[in-house]
Amino acid sequence: MQRRQLLRTLPGLALAGAAGCLGDGGSEGDGTGTPTPTPTATPTETAVTDGPDGVYVQSYLEGMAMPESGMSMGGDYSFGLMLAVPHNFWTVTGSDLSRHQREDSQSVHLMVQVWDEETGVVLPESGVSVEILQDGETVSEEVIYPMLSQRMGFHYGGNFTLAGDGSYTARVSASPLSAEPMGSFAGRFDEPTTVDLGFEFNQAVRDQLTIEELDQAGDPGAIRPMDMGMMPTGVATSPGELPGETVGTQSVDEAEFVLKAAENELAGDAGAYLYVSARTPHNDLVLPMMSMDATVTRGGEDVYDGQLSRAIHPDIQYHYGTRVDSLESGDEVEITVVTPPQVGRHEGYETAFLRMDGASFTA
Amino acid sequence: MRPSESRGIDRREFVKSAVAIGGMSALSACLGRSGDENDDDEDDVSIPAGTDDPTSLPDRQHAWNGALPSDDHGNHVLASHHVLLYADYVGDGAPTADERETVESALQSLERAFEWSSEGLLFTVGYSPRYFDRFDEPLPDSVDLPEPAALTSFEDPDLDTNDVVVHLASDSGAALLEAEEALKGNTDTVNGVEMDAHLGGVLDLPEEFPGRRTGFVGDGLPAENNDVSGIPDEADVPEESPLYMGFKSGFDKNQATEDGVTIPEGPFAGGTTQHVSRIRLRLDDWYVEQDQEERVSEMFCPAHAEEGTVEGVGENLGDDSGAGDCVETIEEDARSAGRVGHAQKTARARRDGRPVILRRDFDSTDRGEAGLHFLAVQEGISDFVATKTAMAGEDLTDTPTIRQRVNNGIQEYTFVKRRGNFLLPPRTHRALPTPRPE
Repeated sequence: MQRRQLLRTLPGLALAGAAGCLGDGGSEGDGTGTPTPTPTATPTETAVTDGPDGVYVQSYLEGMAMPESGMSMGGDYSFGLMLAVPHNFWTVTGSDLSRHQREDSQSVHLMVQVWDEETGVVLPESGVSVEILQDGETVSEEVIYPMLSQRMGFHYGGNFTLAGDGSYTARVSASPLSAEPMGSFAGRFDEPTTVDLGFEFNQAVRDQLTIEELDQAGDPGAIRPMDMGMMPTGVATSPGELPGETVGTQSVDEAEFVLKAAENELAGDAGAYLYVSARTPHNDLVLPMMSMDATVTRGGEDVYDGQLSRAIHPDIQYHYGTRVDSLESGDEVEITVVTPPQVGRHEGYETAFLRMDGASFTA
Repeated sequence: MRPSESRGIDRREFVKSAVAIGGMSALSACLGRSGDENDDDEDDVSIPAGTDDPTSLPDRQHAWNGALPSDDHGNHVLASHHVLLYADYVGDGAPTADERETVESALQSLERAFEWSSEGLLFTVGYSPRYFDRFDEPLPDSVDLPEPAALTSFEDPDLDTNDVVVHLASDSGAALLEAEEALKGNTDTVNGVEMDAHLGGVLDLPEEFPGRRTGFVGDGLPAENNDVSGIPDEADVPEESPLYMGFKSGFDKNQATEDGVTIPEGPFAGGTTQHVSRIRLRLDDWYVEQDQEERVSEMFCPAHAEEGTVEGVGENLGDDSGAGDCVETIEEDARSAGRVGHAQKTARARRDGRPVILRRDFDSTDRGEAGLHFLAVQEGISDFVATKTAMAGEDLTDTPTIRQRVNNGIQEYTFVKRRGNFLLPPRTHRALPTPRPE
């Protein structure tokens, strides 16, 4: 199957070396296995992806470094920095996938988590860029991408080339959110902010940036998100704990759409707040950056026909919602995905969530 | 660099490097090398002399178009080499009449020494809001000159607050360096003409970045100077491109006219405002991740990419990028093409069908990194802000494909580091003006 193909995409791991590696023997990887130190390799790839269709277990378990000085608050945002081995990732424009090929010159895959300190809600839809400095001199500067990975969920990341071993500053800038902050988030996350996060790059750090091959590579499924200590992971709230009544849960190109209707303060002056909480299968990671339309039909007549807004709320987290006059028993709700999740993908998600049509619910 | 050490270096690259380095030694090397070699390079021909009659020169400092050559399509071709000198007034309080006379005398000396043209020397002198703060009276309402500020939600620039900025431009790197050294008082004669005065006792003139900024624009210069950070080794900056990003810009129809950017009334009638930003270019993804079609889509508009409107660097576009025709479909492009173009967004900022800013921007290797000094003149700074706001396209992020900086023109590759606003008074008031000159 694709396992052999996938192994070719292993970051920083030669095929010859891979043959001698052992996974953890059956259970899903949980990040606690004994990692293999990282040798070098130059895989050659041409196709946009070799991965199987749909969500699959990524081919490797990556060890990450969380620098001690890599967390800070700025404005309304909390920031955390993580480093991993540089690897391929994919960005999405519309339904098109673009591979961002790992280059030999690159030193790290740098990831930034952005969240609200009080609620621990992870914040998609900021524009994040990183300038890397050493002794006050610029080493690199890039816009980094919104990204989804099995171990970290939603985060911002990109591959960077450093200037050898030493002490670095990642100057991280975040712009206001493009999603609407609701509830106690209203009026927040509307100012740009910049923080400096320090990190070291040396052999001790590289020893943490490990790669462990997974036996289940390419199988349908996903490895579990990692525990990032003080840093939250973008795991969606369980359907039962989300405010309002559950209208239903449907699978759309493997993504889980939980449709809820809340008749509380979320509805404002309207009758109900109708919203979709979208998440990945297997591990319930928040699936952001879609464009969705909704129609509500009652007795053959449209009572609502319009867009769902990308929004973020302390209890619902990131979601897609709108206020409707009412939602009654027997109403038909049709959700149409206009644009699939524009979030970049780590391995295992790059072929999923691209051909999403929509879902029908009956209240 | 001694001439003997520079043998074998391409002549144009050498001149550009001399301008970037600056100072008397660079000037000597530049002049020495011109004499050394028996080729027909532009700097070997004598630099045309100026005029003894200042009244023969246009009253608008920014009246450059009449002194610039045009290309085959009627586009004005900006001078190749540029220096910006950010300076502070050395005195306390308001400048004196003597100081004013010194400045005017020095500037008139340059006009005697060099023809007002890109073969000779073109220059402007601008004054910041901070400069005018020293006077009791404010600037009149006819001058729209706010303090510089961040103009998008994703930038955090340093704000230039120097009193004065002098912009020197010439096709001759030697003329440029000579003029700079003469203004600083480091040389008494320029192009065979004796300086009556210099600025050294009145202005604190800079020797290095960020006070001294340099650059270049023109066919081939970016390709010859691509060994800087921000340009990947794999990048194939086209030989014929006048700018690092690989396309022509400043098409005549996509520029404001000089009349259009001129302040029409008040004591500074005949003047204009100048905005200068320094932009760091990071072109790895531009050249490595993107193909030409994607670059056309992001620089111009998706329709240009689809229809193959842009050949190579865009020479075939004539005197109009055609991006104005893409304005109406911008929201549709955002949804269906997943991208919107830089020129397409910018073309939304028009008055009476014409852009409101006149770009005179140029590339740079200051600090050893690929950069752009985005210099533009406009009647008021609010014209620049309106254009920049349209260019930023932050209103287009309704669809999640278009983000603040990704798929949104060229903002993934451009990082604004500094901004400054200046008033370019008419020539009659260019020397240390009060806010209400008579």
